[in-house]
Amino acid sequence: MTKAGDWQSYKRVLLPPVKDLHHLDVYRAGGGYEALRAVLSDWKPDEVTEEVKRSGLRGRGGAGFPTGLKWSFMPPVKPNVPRYLCCNADESEPGTFKDRQLMEYNPHLMFEGILIAGYAMSLKACYLYVRGEFANWITLLQDELSKLYDAKLAGSNILGTGFSMDIIMHKGAGAYICGEETSLMESLEGKRAYPRIKPPFPAQSGIWGYPTTINNVETLACAPLIISRGGDWFAGVGANKHPGPVLYGISGHVNRPGVYEYPTGMLITDLLDIAGGIRGNKKLKALVPGGASVPVLRADMIDGVTMDVESLHEAGSMMGTAGMLFLDEDTDMVAFLRRVARFYHHESCGQCTPCREGTGWMENLITRIDDGEGNLRDLDLLLDLCDQMEGRTVCALADAAAWPVRNTIKRFRGDFERRCRPSAWAVNA
Amino acid sequence: MADFIRNPVVALPDSNPEAHFSEEELVFTPEEKAKIAEYVTQYPTPDGAVMWVLWLAQEKFGFLPPEVMRLVATELSLPYAQVYGVATFYTQYYKEKKGTYVLDVCTCFSCQFCGGYDTLAYLEEKLGIMRGHTTPCGRFTLREAECLGACGSAPMMQVSNGPYAYNLTPEKIDALVDAMEAGQPLPFISVTLPQDEDEMGGNRRTDAEAVERYAVPPVAKRTQ
Ligand SMILES: Cc1cc2nc3c(=O)[nH]c(=O)nc-3n(C[C@H](O)[C@H](O)[C@H](O)COP(=O)(O)O)c2cc1C
Ligand code: SF4
Ligand code: FES
Repeated sequence: MTKAGDWQSYKRVLLPPVKDLHHLDVYRAGGGYEALRAVLSDWKPDEVTEEVKRSGLRGRGGAGFPTGLKWSFMPPVKPNVPRYLCCNADESEPGTFKDRQLMEYNPHLMFEGILIAGYAMSLKACYLYVRGEFANWITLLQDELSKLYDAKLAGSNILGTGFSMDIIMHKGAGAYICGEETSLMESLEGKRAYPRIKPPFPAQSGIWGYPTTINNVETLACAPLIISRGGDWFAGVGANKHPGPVLYGISGHVNRPGVYEYPTGMLITDLLDIAGGIRGNKKLKALVPGGASVPVLRADMIDGVTMDVESLHEAGSMMGTAGMLFLDEDTDMVAFLRRVARFYHHESCGQCTPCREGTGWMENLITRIDDGEGNLRDLDLLLDLCDQMEGRTVCALADAAAWPVRNTIKRFRGDFERRCRPSAWAVNA
Repeated sequence: MADFIRNPVVALPDSNPEAHFSEEELVFTPEEKAKIAEYVTQYPTPDGAVMWVLWLAQEKFGFLPPEVMRLVATELSLPYAQVYGVATFYTQYYKEKKGTYVLDVCTCFSCQFCGGYDTLAYLEEKLGIMRGHTTPCGRFTLREAECLGACGSAPMMQVSNGPYAYNLTPEKIDALVDAMEAGQPLPFISVTLPQDEDEMGGNRRTDAEAVERYAVPPVAKRTQ
């Protein structure tokens, strides 16, 4: 029995099999917005946060921070000081495509979660920050949102309970960095999206200086489930240190890529079987378990590893966004790393020198190796560069660039050495 | 972003480039103004509305030359430099004139290994232009894009900041380009979840204009 329990008979809850669930009336017919009604009429705001804490829910946006704890960081309510939520639908982490599918197929679960979070933290409004590329999905969401307002489920005096909260759509315009929480806030304020130095943390000083919480789409979509089924139920699904249902976005060289819903703690090998195995009966070479920023795992490192923070940490990687990229035996890891470095170079906001210049040099060095003109010592130079970048910048993008570079070189060193010219000496022999 | 600082494609704010639009063209209609006023009410200060208004301006004018940025700045009573700063930060705001159709082909890592670069090369050959360029007839601009959040349907592309096209093959690309040349609108495609196929026998959205499945990605020949 794995940590995921009896996953073969798992019944989906984030994306339950109901036709046209994206329509408000279908969603309501299946008990939708009942969790919100219950919370608004019978619960105190603190009790909601407590229940979320009890559930053990961790953020699904990448960092895996406990959500209940994050909500409890909001300062006490003060009169005339508005408080905000930002729902992070910027989804730009390479390999991640789950939030888009959730918004397409079950948007009201997210909306209900937003409203529950709003009640728990006594918020004035939620900005739903959707990446600009999702223009079609923004239109779909706007339609559903206006129905929500018509049904008095958003706006003022929701369900006649006196609780009021607005949900406001914001359309991004193509910048990975806007997914970083402080960058998202700057972008909302109509500035260049340069991340801010923390502290102050968003709960103290967020958008326009007001207390703000930022959560991922999937995180918020878990809130109604926690309320209607109880925090203890949620805590019992999947791995106990990192519980709940998760959307695994599986891509790459598999026979059946796509978004799959299963509990946390699934064996990676089981997920590979679910996705139909590696295409063309080839062997697995490498796996990126949670988006481009997390360290890549070699095929021989995944035996017995499950998808939860604990197990992935032991294996030398992270859960990230659960966007899993499987790569087959023919994959050129140098080309892979070259493209990853290019991505970070392109997406660096340019504010901090170690990141702006470092990502550029990473790309240049790896390109040189890929073109067969690299020297062996370039590998050590790259590792040294990673050390120089990590932890020395305003936001975590520089770290997110350094992790894959360092780990891909370490774990596939042979692949890189074979492409390099031997040099007379090594920098860190 | 950072490379914009090195290679600005827009004349810097202190220069006075030749305008693409005349004074008479540079106005918002009353309906547009009402829309802008609505955006402004959604934020504590008018600054927040700038991204929406730039989107509106780009839809109206096609791209955002300095005089359009100035118009947006005046409309929102913001400094021109702020609007300029925002417009130049994001890749989806077009700072120069683009083709009628902008093809953003994703070549980021999932797509890279599932034929993203093959798609790009096929389009380069078909349209006779290199990535980053516009066809002489002004119909197509071809760009290489970062992950568009549809990695399970690689290779894929986005057309003119709008619909996505998934699981691309040469035949599919030919059909798409023909449709665009004939001026047909591209549909919104709903991609069916694998578990929905198993449990519900197909796509759950009965109102979807077009439906597609996640498919086995092709073997990439090129990776750059
Ligand atoms: C460079 C960078 C990019 C990020 N991009 C995203 C993103 O696209 N979507 C997202 O939900 N979180 C993203 N995050 C994480 C957010 O900063 C934040 O931790 C998250 O939205 C919090 O939500 P959660 O607690 O619900 O996970 C990013 C972080 C960094 C450092
Ligand atoms: S680390 Fe990079 S992306 Fe983050 S603020 Fe600094 S320059 Fe910008
Ligand atoms: S890598 Fe192409 S859509 Fe994500």
